[in-house]
Amino acid sequence: MNNDPQNVASPKTIEQVYRPITRRTFLKGAAASMVGVAGLMAALKPLLELESGSVTLDELLQRHYRELKPEDLQRILASLAARAEQEYGVRPNLRDVKPMAGVEFGYALNLSRCIGCRKCAHACLAENNQSRDDEDDIEMSYIRVLELNQGAINLETSTAYFDPETVPQPDKYYMPVQCQQCRESPCTKVCPVQATWQEADGIVVVDYNWCIGCRYCMAACPYDARRFNYKKPTLKPEQINPNQSYLSNRIRPKGVVEKCTFCLHRTREGKYPACLEVCPTGARVFGNLLDPNSEINYILNHKRVYILKEDVGTQPRFYYFFDK
Amino acid sequence: MAMAMCGLSGWLWLAGQSDHAPGHVTDNASVPVKLPVVARPPAQQPTVGLPADAHLDKTPPRATRGLDLVKAGWTYNCMECHQLFPARWHYGGTNRPLNEHKDIVLDHGNNRFCLNCHHPTNRNVFVDYDGAEIAQADVVKLCAKCHGTIYRDWQAGVHGRQNGYWQTELGPKTKLRCIQCHDPHSPKFKEMKPLPPLRYPARAANPPPAGQVEPPAHP
Ligand code: HEC
Ligand code: HEC
Ligand code: HEC
Ligand code: HEC
Repeated sequence: MNNDPQNVASPKTIEQVYRPITRRTFLKGAAASMVGVAGLMAALKPLLELESGSVTLDELLQRHYRELKPEDLQRILASLAARAEQEYGVRPNLRDVKPMAGVEFGYALNLSRCIGCRKCAHACLAENNQSRDDEDDIEMSYIRVLELNQGAINLETSTAYFDPETVPQPDKYYMPVQCQQCRESPCTKVCPVQATWQEADGIVVVDYNWCIGCRYCMAACPYDARRFNYKKPTLKPEQINPNQSYLSNRIRPKGVVEKCTFCLHRTREGKYPACLEVCPTGARVFGNLLDPNSEINYILNHKRVYILKEDVGTQPRFYYFFDK
Repeated sequence: MAMAMCGLSGWLWLAGQSDHAPGHVTDNASVPVKLPVVARPPAQQPTVGLPADAHLDKTPPRATRGLDLVKAGWTYNCMECHQLFPARWHYGGTNRPLNEHKDIVLDHGNNRFCLNCHHPTNRNVFVDYDGAEIAQADVVKLCAKCHGTIYRDWQAGVHGRQNGYWQTELGPKTKLRCIQCHDPHSPKFKEMKPLPPLRYPARAANPPPAGQVEPPAHP
């Protein structure tokens, strides 16, 4: 079905993806190694894309997301929605949902309650329009549910591939890891083209139209929270979640880096993120850090919280706690 | 009429004859009587979350049963039988002479008496400390009697689960009730089958240890 070698999901071809051989990716790699010439990179980017023949004129003329005039953005949204409808048979409700005033998001996860059922990781696939049913799909879920031995704190000994008859297993505990939406985010700092940044509400986003797929951000992330999209998503019309936003779950092009956005297309409209909606144990607590009466502040004020890999100084907006 | 049936079947339970098959015919061959067996159709489950989120499986871990029992075209409530019996505090273990509710085995720590929760004279409701009635819909208040700190967390939205809008000025929020996750008679949270593992891309920065490079195939 899919003869493009980059689309075959064996570890070997992932290797190939990581050792790019085409001229286009070679060019990108060469340019990316010129540390500090971010401006040059930004200028090069449209040319590189044009060479691959995968951009429309609209997108070629696109300015960086943060420099776009509202009417230009509307034009781009309309063209993206039209293309999605043409390719996938569903017209998405594609918006650019902006941060809410006076809101900074925080997330807390109760490790005593999580049982490792993976409902969050699967819901993440559905919410974020990830391809998931094909043989060659490597799931891009932004959540990895790790299984650890009771008492262990070393993530290196954890596994994401546990599969017992029932969970929780008596001697284990479970830790879902997703983007921690760091205040000191290493990923945004290493991006050579400023395709990823922190928004006013703290969410770290990627402009998929600007990302060149160099994966520096993935290497910089201490939480392994970013995913490289090595395949054009294959989605049946009924698998598509039409509620989409430009900086979050719109159907992404191949070859960009993606990540958890705390479901900004939901949360910026006042709804809970998808992973919280499906959690059977109620281990997830989400809310506005700037509202003293929010659920997240109840946790920060009443429970003892931990952050993951505190020593790396990333200052996450994602907290873990133990509490029945 | 219903009462008369209950009276008759009450006698039969004493003889230990009742079973839970619908359309049961008694031993007394001359009088074929349909026994009112306590059948449990799924109670109307409260809505969870928003209609637009049909793509997310928000089914609560436990389906509630409610206290209204419907069987074989009969609708009867707990009191149609219970007005015939005096309430008994010391009930359970070997002291269960009759056949009803044999499926209910209390496994709730030191909370050992049915009537700690069920109202002694009105079985259609629950009971508060002072004997006041707690309506079925307020079952959370029943649990709050003894689980004050958890109830406070639940009210604050950090025990249990909420669905819909975190920003309630923009839309509704639903909260799961305690018994949508905990069986009141055996409240320990039940184990479940995990969803299948996902095949994640190999890490760029941190390759997984050997053996994990090739994740399990799709089911
Ligand atoms: C912790 C409080 C509590 C205790 C103790 C308790 N129950 Fe219940 N019981 C409930 C609640 C709450 C429901 C409603 C369940 C639902 O709606 O899913 C219920 C439902 C029932 C029902 C009807 C639904 C069903 O599951 O069959 C019966 C019959 C019943 N209880 C009998 C008993 C008996 C007999 C005992 C003692 C052995 C007992 N209960 C002890 C709280 C309690
Ligand atoms: C079909 C008749 C019948 C119905 C309907 C019925 N019960 Fe009972 N119930 C009994 C009998 C008989 C006993 C005594 C069982 C025994 O002694 O072994 C009993 C015992 C109990 C007890 C133990 C305490 C006591 O007073 O004996 C509780 C609690 C109880 N029932 C609750 C309920 C609730 C709640 C409902 C409604 C959901 C209900 N019952 C409906 C027949 C019934
Ligand atoms: C009359 C007091 C009382 C009421 C009412 C009550 N409980 Fe309990 N509950 C207890 C006691 C006592 C324990 C045991 C605590 C222990 O062993 O540490 C307990 C334990 C529990 C546990 C922990 C079980 C475990 O093994 O981990 C849960 C969950 C629970 N109750 C839920 C509920 C729910 C839900 C309700 C409402 C339907 C409820 N309780 C009503 C007294 C009560
Ligand atoms: C979304 C599901 C959910 C809801 C709703 C929920 N709980 Fe729990 N509860 C859990 C889980 C999961 C645990 C941890 C596992 C366990 O100990 O059984 C837990 C633990 C508990 C415990 C044991 C705490 C301890 O220290 O061991 C009690 C008591 C309890 N819940 C009571 C309640 C009461 C009372 C309510 C309603 C006010 C409620 N729960 C609502 C999922 C839920």
